[in-house]
Amino acid sequence: MATTTVSSVPLSLNDRITAGILALLIGGFLVFGAGLANSAVLHDTAHDVRHSYGFPCH
Amino acid sequence: MIVKTLLAALVAGLIAGIFMTAAQELRVVPLILHAEEYEGKEPAAEQPAGTETQQHSSLGQSSVVGEILSALSPVTPAYAHEGEHEEEGGIMFGMSRFSGTLLANLVAGAGFGLLLAGASLVFNYPITLRNGALWGACGWLAVHLLPAVGLPPELPGFPAADLHDRQIWWIATIVLSVAGLYLVVLRGEIAAKIIGLVLIAAPHVYGAPQPSDISSPVPAVLGAEFAVAALATTLAFWIVLGVISGYLNDRFLKSA
Repeated sequence: MATTTVSSVPLSLNDRITAGILALLIGGFLVFGAGLANSAVLHDTAHDVRHSYGFPCH
Repeated sequence: MIVKTLLAALVAGLIAGIFMTAAQELRVVPLILHAEEYEGKEPAAEQPAGTETQQHSSLGQSSVVGEILSALSPVTPAYAHEGEHEEEGGIMFGMSRFSGTLLANLVAGAGFGLLLAGASLVFNYPITLRNGALWGACGWLAVHLLPAVGLPPELPGFPAADLHDRQIWWIATIVLSVAGLYLVVLRGEIAAKIIGLVLIAAPHVYGAPQPSDISSPVPAVLGAEFAVAALATTLAFWIVLGVISGYLNDRFLKSA
C-alpha cells in the first residue's frame, strides 16, 4: 500500500531546483566537451557532429 | 527520485544520440565529405597551421578528458596513444571517423537530454509523452533554429568570423532564447510574453559576428543543402529526444 504513494509525492522545491541545476551543469559540461571545447583531439573526433549540429566550428 | 530523473534524461539522450548518428549518415555527413573535397583545393596554408596551435594550447585539457575516457574505452592504451600523436590532432584513441561521430553524438545527446530535463525541473513543468514533442521542438528552436538565423550551420571551408566571438554569441543567443521561450510559452501574462519576444529578438538586433570576406571555395548550393539538412536532422533529433524523455518519465517516474 505504502509503496504506491512514495513517488507520487511531488519533489520539494529545494530538491527540484537542486536536481534541475545539477542536470543543467552536467548537461552543459557534456555539450561543451562535444561541441565547443578548444582541443584538437576533441575537435577532430567530434568534427562531423559539430558541423551537423551547427556548433560554431573552425 | 532525483537520480531517477537524471537517469531517465541520460538514457533518452543516449538513445537519441544513436538515432542522430543514423540520421546524420543519410544526408549531412555525405555533404560534409563533399564539401571537404573543395576545402582541400584552397590556399591550404591556414588549415594545418590553425590546428597545430590549437593542439599546443590544449594539451593539458585533452589529456585529462582522454584519461577519463580511456579508462572507459575498449581500445587498448597503446593504440590510443598512437592515435593521439597523429598529426593535426587526430581522432581520439585512433577510432574510425564513424566511431568518433557516434561517440560525440552519444555525449552530445546525453548532454542535451540532461539540459532538457534540467530546464523542465527548473521551470517546474514536467516532460510527458503527450508534450514531449513540443518540448523537443522548443529545444530545437532555442538551440538550433534561432542561433542559425545569425550563424547558419557551416560546411568545412566556409568563411567565418573569429571562432571565440561566434561561440560567445551562440551561447548568449541560446540562453536568451530559452529564457524568452519560457516567458512566451509557459507564462500567461501579456507583459511576460512581450519581454520574452524582446529577449528572443535581442541577439539578432545586436547581430552575429560575420566574416569580413565571404568568398569561399565551397559551392553555395552545397551550403544551402547542408543548412536545410542540418536543421532538419537536428529537429528530428530533438523530437525523438523529447518524446523518449516523456515516455521514460511517464513510465518510470510516475508508476514506480
